[in-house]
Amino acid sequence: MKILPLIASLTFAILATANLSLKEEGPAEMQLELDSLARVGSVMVDGDVCQKIVTERAKQFLFASDPRDEFLAGDNYDVDDAAFNSVKKTLIRLSHLAPFPADVNLWMPIEGHRGKIHLVIRNKNEMSQFWNWGELYGDMAPQMESVLKTGQRITVTSKPGWISVLAPVYNSLGDVVGLIEAVSRVNVDAHENVK
Amino acid sequence: MNRLPAPFLFLVLMVISCQGLLAADLDALPEFLRSDPFGAIVAPDRGAANLSSSLYGTQHRIMLTGCRGGYVSFQLVVKLPSPSDYTVDVAIPDRTNKVQIDLFREWFHFTDSDRRYYPDALIPVHGTYSSHLPEPDNRIRQQTAQAFWVDVYIAPDTRPGILSGRAQLKAGAKITILPIQLTVLASIIPGEDVVTIDHNSYGSSWLAQQFATSYQHNPDHWFESEQFFRLIHAYHRLFYEHRGIFHQLGYGHSGKVAPEFAPLLEGSGRAKHITSWSLYDRHYGPLFDGMAFSASRRGSRPIPFVYLPINPEWPASYEFWGEAGYEAEFVNVVSQIERHFREKGWTHTNFEVFFNHKKRYKGFPWDGDEVRFPEDLKYFLEYGRLLKKALPADTPVRFVFRADVSWDMEQQFKMLEGVVQLWCASGGILSFYKDAPKMLRKRGDVIWYYGGPPRVTDSSAAITELPLRAWLWGVNGFVHWLTVSPGEDPWFHFNGGQTALVYSGERFGLNEPIPSIRLKIQRDCLQDLVLLDSFKGDKSLDSLRAGAARKYNDSTPDDWWNPRPALADLPSDRWLGSAIDDATKHTRQALRDPGASGWYNVHQYALSLQAEAK
Repeated sequence: MKILPLIASLTFAILATANLSLKEEGPAEMQLELDSLARVGSVMVDGDVCQKIVTERAKQFLFASDPRDEFLAGDNYDVDDAAFNSVKKTLIRLSHLAPFPADVNLWMPIEGHRGKIHLVIRNKNEMSQFWNWGELYGDMAPQMESVLKTGQRITVTSKPGWISVLAPVYNSLGDVVGLIEAVSRVNVDAHENVK
Repeated sequence: MNRLPAPFLFLVLMVISCQGLLAADLDALPEFLRSDPFGAIVAPDRGAANLSSSLYGTQHRIMLTGCRGGYVSFQLVVKLPSPSDYTVDVAIPDRTNKVQIDLFREWFHFTDSDRRYYPDALIPVHGTYSSHLPEPDNRIRQQTAQAFWVDVYIAPDTRPGILSGRAQLKAGAKITILPIQLTVLASIIPGEDVVTIDHNSYGSSWLAQQFATSYQHNPDHWFESEQFFRLIHAYHRLFYEHRGIFHQLGYGHSGKVAPEFAPLLEGSGRAKHITSWSLYDRHYGPLFDGMAFSASRRGSRPIPFVYLPINPEWPASYEFWGEAGYEAEFVNVVSQIERHFREKGWTHTNFEVFFNHKKRYKGFPWDGDEVRFPEDLKYFLEYGRLLKKALPADTPVRFVFRADVSWDMEQQFKMLEGVVQLWCASGGILSFYKDAPKMLRKRGDVIWYYGGPPRVTDSSAAITELPLRAWLWGVNGFVHWLTVSPGEDPWFHFNGGQTALVYSGERFGLNEPIPSIRLKIQRDCLQDLVLLDSFKGDKSLDSLRAGAARKYNDSTPDDWWNPRPALADLPSDRWLGSAIDDATKHTRQALRDPGASGWYNVHQYALSLQAEAK
């Protein structure tokens, strides 16, 4: 008779372990999918076109400030729509490679402003592990700096439940001119960033 | 030593303990004078302190006068110099029940900016209110006064005449009574406003934050629950009861649409189609057929305006922008939408195709909102074409293309004629173009202007400037860009309320929003405006406007416009924000701040015209 509780306990332990490993497999599978997507993206996204997106005017005003005009930088933010559309369409198509909701965002360093980076294209799930909503530019995360320097993909899971894979974007000279962030969340929030 | 007899000692103790209560007082104040928790008028309203006796007639009687189909408002202030229990109630007995009293306790918000208290949120009180001063939940240690907002509703079919009532305070053994005399005038305030006041908001995640207890009970399914939709309808109802409308934008700057704001889509390219209206119809059905308002005093009425979920990423995927697939997805789904609305009989609401995105938020390469760069207008023209293709020419469903405009508005008025029908314009820049409202309305367009609510630290009547300006300018309405966001802690560390005119009632056990003093004053102002406008058969509209502007702040209607600045002749992408400020200097200088009494004077003017008309 005493063996029954033992069997029950063992069964429970096996099931619990199995359940745990399933839970862990979810994010791990997502990570693999995003990595694969980012790898493809790294060769598909055209760095030369990316470099044409943000206009000279927008770059000139990016860090401008005027106490009488708090929106000076944002009001002068402009892009070349043909270049933007071309790259955005590629990013959207890349996101279809993931069997779950994912975004592929384009980030680019800012010439003359070491340590700063800006998001250039976002997508429809409005997901990013790095973008603080509304900001024109921000401090470059060390992982981003590493991708830009080494050309190596990096997976970032700093925020609980979030997975981003950062991958380099090259231009025709072979320079790393930006990076893509292939990103998703274990639990997608249908209402986040609808604002 | 002689000892005092016990009965005498008891009497002395009683007198001492009742001293505070003997000084208990009940005071009535006009709606424009707000009390602080210590019984003084708040600083921004003190310039109008001479109004404090304006409510009283002979024998300290509260004298109220109002037209039918509207509200008369005033405030009661309970003053108790020492902590004590009290009971307050107001009644104007009317056996026909056409005259009804709504009583609200005023919450005193501590504002961090000036470290003072201001009343604003109004907590509904049903029947008699019994409590203790200091009010336990408001947590103001030295509080000696509690203010109440009183709305007297006079139904349109009330019999004109005089009704009597009273406000009563019981504190200990002392009873204080203020008699009330209400004169119901024969005039009926028209139900249709001359100025549409819109209260805007974005998404619905804020509802889960502000009604956290409700959300936490059902976090996985709250956004699909009956409770959630009832809550949204309650917001619409609250604004509607205050002669306003409510907008909720259902998508983000990169095109993410929250599920309750759009039908469900499936497929791609020519196969893209709607598969479910379930959430959308639960959300909007009662708003489009008016049943959400069946219990309201203003009666059932479909909401007049609503945002559609249409954006560059919905219903067509931006992946196909400029290609046949984009057109197929857009046209097919919008056609399905039109058919659904037509079959449902939703033909009274204006369904807005509106682009809110800005390129600075990195979702799309053109500005949908506040276009600055003229090359962005080609996208508007293309959506105008797609929309035309999607809709039957004779559709009874009202689709309107809306554009929120600032920098480039003058060009857009020309280039988008026949494409855009609803304009929402920056007030500062519209003030350069005096002829624009008339021109736009003449061709059948609707023109609103936008801004935001004043702070509670401004004078009580500051909010009336917004609808008054709309009426003086001859535009159709005004949009408060955000009205449901009172900050992280509006109760004890208030940011002033520039993005809020309503509050969550959850703190007070209510699963619905509660109004504010500013919202009430705005409603009363709208009543006066529609009444004033109704006299245009007897007097010219120009003379009515001139009279109101003079009474408000001794201005003329022309003072409300700025001269066209030189920068208006430059391409809008060469303007500077600071130059716009300079160009609006004229109105800032010409328009004197009327303080708290500004609207009181306009109200009296409207009543005098009413008497003349009679």
